[in-house]
Amino acid sequence: MGEIIAQTDTRQSETRARIAEIKYALYLMRQNPLVLGGLILVIFFIVLSAVATVIVSPDEALKLEFGQSYCWNNSIISWTPLEAACPAGTNYLLGTDGFGRDLFRMIILSIPLDLAIAFVIVLTTTAFGVALGAVAGWIGGKFDEAILRITDIFFAFPGLVLALVFAALFGRTIQTLTLAVLLVWWPTYVRLTRGQVLVEKERTYVEALKSIGVNPARIVLFHIIPNAIYPIIVQMTLDIGGVILTFSALMFLGFSPSPALPELGNLAADGIGHVFTAPWLIVFPGLTILVIALAFNLVGDGLRDILDPRLRR
Amino acid sequence: MRIYEYVLRRLALVVFVLFGVSAIVFYLARGFPSAFTPWAQYVTFRMRPDQIEAVIKAHGFDKPLYIQYWYWLVDVFHGDWGYSNWANGLPTYKVFASRFPFTVELTVAATIMTVAIGIPLGILSALKNNTAADHASRIIALTGYSTPAYWFAYILQLVFFYYFYVWGLPNLPSGGAISQGLATAVPAITGMPIVDGLLAGNLAYAADAFAHVILPAFSLSFISLGYLARIVRASMLEVLRQDYIIMARSKGLPERVVIYRHALRNALIPAMTLTGLFFAGLLGGAIITETVFSWPGVGYVSLRAVFQGDSNFLLLYSLVTALIIVVSNLVVDVMYVFLDPRIKY
Repeated sequence: MGEIIAQTDTRQSETRARIAEIKYALYLMRQNPLVLGGLILVIFFIVLSAVATVIVSPDEALKLEFGQSYCWNNSIISWTPLEAACPAGTNYLLGTDGFGRDLFRMIILSIPLDLAIAFVIVLTTTAFGVALGAVAGWIGGKFDEAILRITDIFFAFPGLVLALVFAALFGRTIQTLTLAVLLVWWPTYVRLTRGQVLVEKERTYVEALKSIGVNPARIVLFHIIPNAIYPIIVQMTLDIGGVILTFSALMFLGFSPSPALPELGNLAADGIGHVFTAPWLIVFPGLTILVIALAFNLVGDGLRDILDPRLRR
Repeated sequence: MRIYEYVLRRLALVVFVLFGVSAIVFYLARGFPSAFTPWAQYVTFRMRPDQIEAVIKAHGFDKPLYIQYWYWLVDVFHGDWGYSNWANGLPTYKVFASRFPFTVELTVAATIMTVAIGIPLGILSALKNNTAADHASRIIALTGYSTPAYWFAYILQLVFFYYFYVWGLPNLPSGGAISQGLATAVPAITGMPIVDGLLAGNLAYAADAFAHVILPAFSLSFISLGYLARIVRASMLEVLRQDYIIMARSKGLPERVVIYRHALRNALIPAMTLTGLFFAGLLGGAIITETVFSWPGVGYVSLRAVFQGDSNFLLLYSLVTALIIVVSNLVVDVMYVFLDPRIKY
């Protein structure tokens, strides 16, 4: 009986310590206006992508109106002496693209796709990289060496070229492009996790767990990875921005499945031939990518300071 | 382990990595003839199907892939990199050699800009830690690596080429490495326009080439200068906490001497590593920036090569890039030993 009470006591104090830790982290976050701003933006974009199709009806926004291509009727900003005005009776906040569609609505419709792809890529690479890195770090020896050498090869690659070749070979679909980015992204997580596991492996608690005969898979999965997870979470947050940049760059360089696809890089690519006559086509989609990536990077950069106790000065 | 043993082991690794890279690229570039047709450069429109079959047989493109890889390897060790489909059948290494100097010039310019802006920015934000200047440098850094390279390149073109012209200001060129009319004004000795102009004593040519390099170089450096500034800031803060800095201050040295002579030297070691890696990464060609600015370097050609299925160019390009990256990693690691005597291998 006494033993059980002692156990619940330690459990409770552990939970209390965790809560205190989280509270302290939240306090630090409040102290840092940049992180808070980033977090608000991130939440805003996630909510926006959840309700994008409610705000903007895709059927209406995606309709092609070639009579209203590349027009601009916002009197506050004047781009060039050359810009064309939209036909009377229409009003487009950010002008129209080459298909005569409202650019503002197209940007709202594109955000869900970009965010979804970024999340899919980051979660998949993390799952794969963490699994491989943890096994390599735990087993060590020949297996570790082999995995390391493979990541060496991938690190030496010009990443974008590999992704481009992959996309060129296997067709221009969203799936292929996602795979292409995955192909160049995974080694980072393997290296990161392996390094973390190597450090944790030597700690006393692992020795203790081993000595009482805990299953190695259990040690790695429930003890080592949770202890090594913070740098991985930071890397994931920072990588969402990076993945959006890379993916939209692939689209921009001409690997889009269809020129009419609502995707931010693809929208910007529509403006390549019209940089000086319809600059809004590149300016606004690119700016949206910048703000999304910046929001995630602000959060990631702040998380690094908040989650790592050594940096809390 | 002695330093030369370490270097030898790393060099063996370089060879291994190059084989790995070549095998993967070879598999992708030659294993899918319906997308990347490796015999395209040996075939003309006038050939009959049976003649094309004969070409495929004569060059061994019907053999299993590992045998083709062996043939390719033998050729490469004889210095034969095949013919570039993109360049209408010019030898691949000639195409590469004529384009590489442009990439080198752009890389050098971008690196100089990154260092010239990034390091002072880092020092400033370390000295003014947690002030407005520090926050500003953090925002610049994060904006830098959140910026889509293609977007920033077009914005620079829009402002400094087009709007400067519209506003009647002296504008910068929007693309290319040299103005069209000057293209053959000086003999190509190094292949780098600025250097060639200076060597030939043609200052107008060198100035024109310099004007062309500003925008692409800035667009490349903007992405990494903030990162460099953050690294300089972090290591500067670390160094400023050390005992020997307190010692230097307490013996009454002027703050200027403490910072620039005592602190900065040690704080710059990580920055140097980063700059080296950045330089190496750019030598592999900045595909996006070179494409947007029509900069005739290897990055620009490599995108064309992907679109045209030019497997020979892609193989040479990815091998050279991989070599540069692996060797520069090695050089940076070895330099560390000389710069920081505490590090041992």
